[in-house]
Order: sequence, then structure tokens, then C-alpha cells
Amino acid sequence: MADTYFVEPDLDFIDEVSALGGSDLKKCFQCATCSVACPISPDTKPFPRKEMIAASWGLKDRLIGNGDIWLCHNCGDCSTLCPRGAKPGDVLAAIRSYAIKEYAVPKKLGEMVNDPKKLPILLAIPAVIFIVLGVITGLLDFTPGGSEIIHDHFFSTWLVDLCMIPASMWAVVVFALSLKRFIADIHANALLEGKTKKEKIEPIGFVQALIKIIPGILKHDKFNECGENQDRTTPHMMVLFGFIGLFIVTAIFFVTLYIFQIHGPYSQLNPVKWLGNIAGVSLVIGSGLMIKTRLTKKDEVSTYQDWFLLGLAMGLGVTGLLSEMTRLADLAWFSYTIYFIHLIFVFSMFVYLPYSKLAHIVYRTVAMTYKEYSERT
Amino acid sequence: MTNDKATPASGTIMVVGGGISGLTTALEAAEVGYEVFLVDKNPYLGGRVAQLNQYFPKLCPPTCGLEINFRRIKDNPRIKTFTLSEVTNVEGSPGNYTVSMKTSPRYVNNNCTLCGDCAKACQTEISSEFNFGMCKTKAAYLPFEMAFPARYVIAPQIIGTEDAKRCKEACKYDAVDLEMETKTFDLQVGSIVWATGWEPYDAAKIDNLGFGQYQNIITNMMLERLAAPNGPTKGKIVRPSDDKAPETIAFVQCAGSRDENHLPYCSYICCMASLKHATYLRALYPDAKIYIFYIDLRAPGQRYEKFYKQVKADKNVFFVKGKVAEVSEDSKTNNITVIAENALTGEKIRQTVDLVVLATGMQPTAVNTKLPADLKYNDDGFIINDFEKGGMFAAGCANKPADVVSCNQNATGMALKAIQTLVKR
Repeated sequence: MADTYFVEPDLDFIDEVSALGGSDLKKCFQCATCSVACPISPDTKPFPRKEMIAASWGLKDRLIGNGDIWLCHNCGDCSTLCPRGAKPGDVLAAIRSYAIKEYAVPKKLGEMVNDPKKLPILLAIPAVIFIVLGVITGLLDFTPGGSEIIHDHFFSTWLVDLCMIPASMWAVVVFALSLKRFIADIHANALLEGKTKKEKIEPIGFVQALIKIIPGILKHDKFNECGENQDRTTPHMMVLFGFIGLFIVTAIFFVTLYIFQIHGPYSQLNPVKWLGNIAGVSLVIGSGLMIKTRLTKKDEVSTYQDWFLLGLAMGLGVTGLLSEMTRLADLAWFSYTIYFIHLIFVFSMFVYLPYSKLAHIVYRTVAMTYKEYSERT
Repeated sequence: MTNDKATPASGTIMVVGGGISGLTTALEAAEVGYEVFLVDKNPYLGGRVAQLNQYFPKLCPPTCGLEINFRRIKDNPRIKTFTLSEVTNVEGSPGNYTVSMKTSPRYVNNNCTLCGDCAKACQTEISSEFNFGMCKTKAAYLPFEMAFPARYVIAPQIIGTEDAKRCKEACKYDAVDLEMETKTFDLQVGSIVWATGWEPYDAAKIDNLGFGQYQNIITNMMLERLAAPNGPTKGKIVRPSDDKAPETIAFVQCAGSRDENHLPYCSYICCMASLKHATYLRALYPDAKIYIFYIDLRAPGQRYEKFYKQVKADKNVFFVKGKVAEVSEDSKTNNITVIAENALTGEKIRQTVDLVVLATGMQPTAVNTKLPADLKYNDDGFIINDFEKGGMFAAGCANKPADVVSCNQNATGMALKAIQTLVKR
């Protein structure tokens, strides 16, 4: 007897994916052009044709725990060739937004991050924490004085770390919890759909797979295979390397502060400072180019999730550079205010990371690692 | 006055297009007593059907049906045909139209006996449009064996050359008249039926399917000519690169049809056409393997369904549910690899074949050649019949993509509509 498969459509899921930018998904008539048009889709169980029918049928379980939605880099080649205007690229992006919300705990916070009406509250949270903690500990001084602008005198480095270390730990813990479920789900889905040669996930092999794919991620190999929107590679690289650069700079200064007890601000001649400046500029230009593309390209859907991430990246870069520039220009209060805003952005990045589109950095990396690990061709 | 219907000027029906629909409308109207002007821009009647090798599902040659229709026209004094003619303007209202006409010179008159001496004498060769450019023909030519009117044509390209003179000298019957000129004149008619038909969609516009880039990718209409005994290969289906008999053939369904980027609608005939083509190939090459890549196979109605089942029962015909979205060529063998996802198994397929046939769809002629009349079109260029307004009607593929049977039914209906316009007055 043939296997019987009872379709249990989740109608709310279809509506939500539609609202998240996949509103044309029902136009799909399963011609499978997309799976061939996609330059990075594997030969065994290629995407996104099967994802399109699952979305159309409301098969939520087949999608959110499906690693393939993350293999997609949203280049848009499928949407260009789609004979029905069903925009598979945008549908997969919408499913990814849904999956991020689904995996990150607590879900309540995930809903807030993805709701534009809640944005003021989200930004107010770090501001309130900074002020309350700062006032209690006395590490926030509204009258820093002095002839030189030193941000530490206004917003103590201790206070920065008091806020940011737990914030970054938060992101790590939330991701750890999400990934535990995520990895189990994508493995179960791969077994179900016959996409893997491995019965179990061996941690060592998995880490080896991760190491193997990292150079490709850094070189944006998958982006470069794209036909339609290949010009996205450079801005995305600029933003990614901007973040990496700033992460390195922060790590170095963290070490110099705690181990060598050297306080900032550091000399502009310091090579680490150079790196920081270059990374900041790269972040601003990269996100600026992406914003410009999204504003001018009308055939690709742009959702709140996209703007949230781009706004965050741009905001981080602009406020970071501005607080440095205003400091050098001796605009004391202006500089302190900008610095305060910059810290709000930094805090938001860490805390809201697992709930925002930025989480793709983790999910996509894990899904690509899994594909490598599963030896799927 | 009201009872006198003895052929007043407005009592004539004009039929524009002499393909199967136009022929049917003209004959149905004429055979119940109405005067008909039948106009075609080609030097012959028969249209697209004349280019076919066989009809589906009966697999009989269309020449047989055409021959009967031509005979009926010949015998009917009420039909006046205008070949090489175009309508340049239409003015007036239902029951009373003034149609401006332009007839291009054929350079061959009624004396022609089809002896073919002019063609023998002619040295210039021109690309055969009838055969989609797959072969050349003499510039003095008979469009096809049973062309009606049965007269040679001299291509305007050689007028004024020595070649034209050679044709004239070769003719023993004084049938070549190089002095013929373009004629313009007006006709008074009561109603007009537009049976302007269709053109194969330009496959070169579908860039991911490689037509025009790779030699061994042809269209379904080209295959039809290759299969026809009067075609460029005398009925042998061979691949263009090396005239080799193909052992493996892939059909790409919906090549341009059901596609927003090309023709958003289903062209209706291509599935049946490819099934029919499979029978051509299987009859010619008993070991040939045929792969039909489709989105959905549409074989509407009992008879077509039965035909589909017959072809499906053939062990050498493989059906793959998945549209071909990419093709590539092996530069050494000129073989073509088509790529699709088999949606039933969820695996990508790379099938290498000797020959690829794109099942291209039909586009109404009116899209590329605007008709000089006040007609309503849908977004795809098919004429919308406005029965309220009346007077002018569209029949056959000018109105919608259709097979020959539906065209004939529709054309008969439009003959009645045209007659009603005259009688209502």
C-alpha cells in the first residue's frame, strides 16, 4: 500500500507568511522552474518548488524546520523566471522570518521585535536600563566636565560592560536554546525528505563541516553564483566585514582594558583604531547601498524585518562614527548624546539579535553546515 | 425594398484570413446564399493548417480536408477570393462598411498551368517562409503542391532583374506578367469576420531555452514541416546540425505559454501537438526515446484523452512532470542537455538528447500587425467579440487559442453572426 499522507493545513501560517512578504505564494502552479533557475539549489530534493507547495498547503512543520529555506540566499533568480509571479524568493524570505520568530524564546519578545508598533518600547528598554543602572551605581555622570571629551567620564566603561556583557550572553543563551531545537528539526526534516546520508549528527564531523564552509561564506561564494542580483555581493560583504572588524576591535580593546588596564580614547594613529574606523565606514556604506537598492527595486518585497535590520546596521555605524567625530570636533553634549544612542543600538543588536533578521547569520551558517555535513549534492 | 435581398452592396460578408477558420466561415456563409469576399495576405489559402503534416488525433493529413474546401470554393460563384491582399482601412457601421484594400502583384496571371518552367529558369533562391527558413526555394515558386489558387508566384525581390526576364521567357503560356502593379480599391460589405489567425510565439525571446543559440533546438512548427512529405527534408525528421536521425528527443512543453514573462495563457494545442509529434517520431524511428517535460498535460475531451493514453502506453515515451528551465549544448556532439526538476520525485534531471523540440504557443496575428478596424482586444491581443455592437466578429485563433475542430465550430457560428448582421437591417 502506498504511503498515505494526511495534509493538515495550518491556515494561519499561510496568512502569516503572506503578511511577512510572501503574499503571491498562492499563484504558484508547481512548474518547478524555480528549482532549476536557482543557481545554488542542490540536485537532490532541490528547493524552492517543494517549499512553495508546502507553503501553499500550510504545512508549517515541513517548512520552519527545513534547512533548505536557509540555503536560499534570496538572489531572486527564481522570481525572475517564475512564470506566475509567485515570487518564490520572497516567499522563502517570509518563511525565514516566521522561522526566526518560531525558534527564539521567549516568543513574546520575538513578536515585539517583529512588530513596528513595539519599536519605541524596544528602544526605550536599553535607555531605561542604562539610566537606572547608571544612577544606582553612579557610573553614569551627566556632568562629566573636563577639557577633553572622554565618553568614559559620561558613560563609564564599567557601565557599558555591565550592560553589554549580559546582553551578549543573552544572545548566546537564546541562540543555544533555539539551535538545539533547530538542528534536531532540520535533521529530522532531512531524514523525512531523504536529503541526508547521515543517520545521526556527530559533533566532531559537524564542526569540521562548519570549518570547511566558513571560507566560502567569507568570500560570498553563494552570492556570486547568483545571476539576477549579483550586485548585492559587495554591500553585503561590506556590512559583514564591517561587523567582523568592529567585533575584532571591541575584543582587542576589551583585552587592553582588562588585562593591560589601558583606558580609551585611543590615539587615531593606533592601527586598531584604523581598523575600527574602516569597519565603521564599511558598515555605513554597505548598509546605505542596501537601503538604496531596496528603495529602488520594486519587484522584490521589502518588509519591516528587512528595514529593522538595515536600520540597525546603519544606526550602529552612523552613531558610532558620529560620536567619534563629534568628540574630535569638541562638541561635548552632542557627542555624549550620540554616544548614548550608539549604546542603545549596540544593546539592541545583542538582545534583539536572535529575534530579528540578523539571526540569519546563525541559522544560515548552521543550515549550510548541515548541508555540508549531510553530503548532499 | 425590405424584401429585396438580391445582393445589395451591403449584402456581402468579408472574411479576413483564409486559414481553416476563414475558409469555414466563407463557405458556410456562401453555401447558404451569401456573397463572400475572402481575403488573405499570403499568395495561397489554407493558412497554418497547410503547414501541418497531420491532424491530431486522427493522424490524417490536412491536405485532404483542405482539398475539399478548395473544391467547394472553386465550385461556388458567391465566393470571391483576394490573395496577396490586405485590408488597409475599414470605415462605416454594421451593415455598411467601406473596406480599403491593397493587393500586391503576384506577377503570374490566370494562364499559369503549373508547368514549373519559370522556377527552372529562375536562378535566385530565397528563404522559404513556409518552411520556417529551414530551406530555400526558387524566387519563382509554387507555395506548396496543392496551393490554391493553383498558380506560381514570383517574389518581388527579383523584379527588375535578369532573373525575372528569364522567368518570363521560359513561360510558354504568357502567364508571367512583370508589369503587374500593386492595386488599391474599396469594397462595400455588410459584415466582416476577422479570421486573422495566429503566429508561432517567437522562441528566441525565451532566452533560457536556447532557441537560436543551439542548432538542435527547434520549434514544434518546424518539426511539423520536417515531418511533412512536402517539407524541407521530404518527411525525414533529422536534426539540423548534422542531418542525423535523432535517437533521443526531448519536448519542452509550455515553451513561452502559461508564462507571465511571455504568453500568460495556455495555447491549448501544444500538448496534443507534442503527443502527435511523438507518434511521428516513433513511426519513423522504432528505437527512438522521447522525453516530454510538462507542467500539466492538457488533453481535453474524450478523444484527446484517449490519444494521450495511447501515447502514454508507448514504453519509449517518457513523461516528466517539471518544466525545462535551463538548456546547454555539448560543443563536440551538438547534443543538448535539458534541465528540469521532476516534481514527482523531487530530483533534478539532466537529460541529454539529440534533438529538443520547444512546444511554443500561439500568439494572435493582431499582436504584431495591428488590424485597421475598430476592434476590442483582450490583454493578450485576442479580439473580443462585441455581439452587442455586431457587424464585425472574430473567428478561430484570432479570438482565442484553439484546435482545428473548435476553430471550425467557432467559424461556423461567426458565419451565422455575420449573416444576422445583414438580415437584421
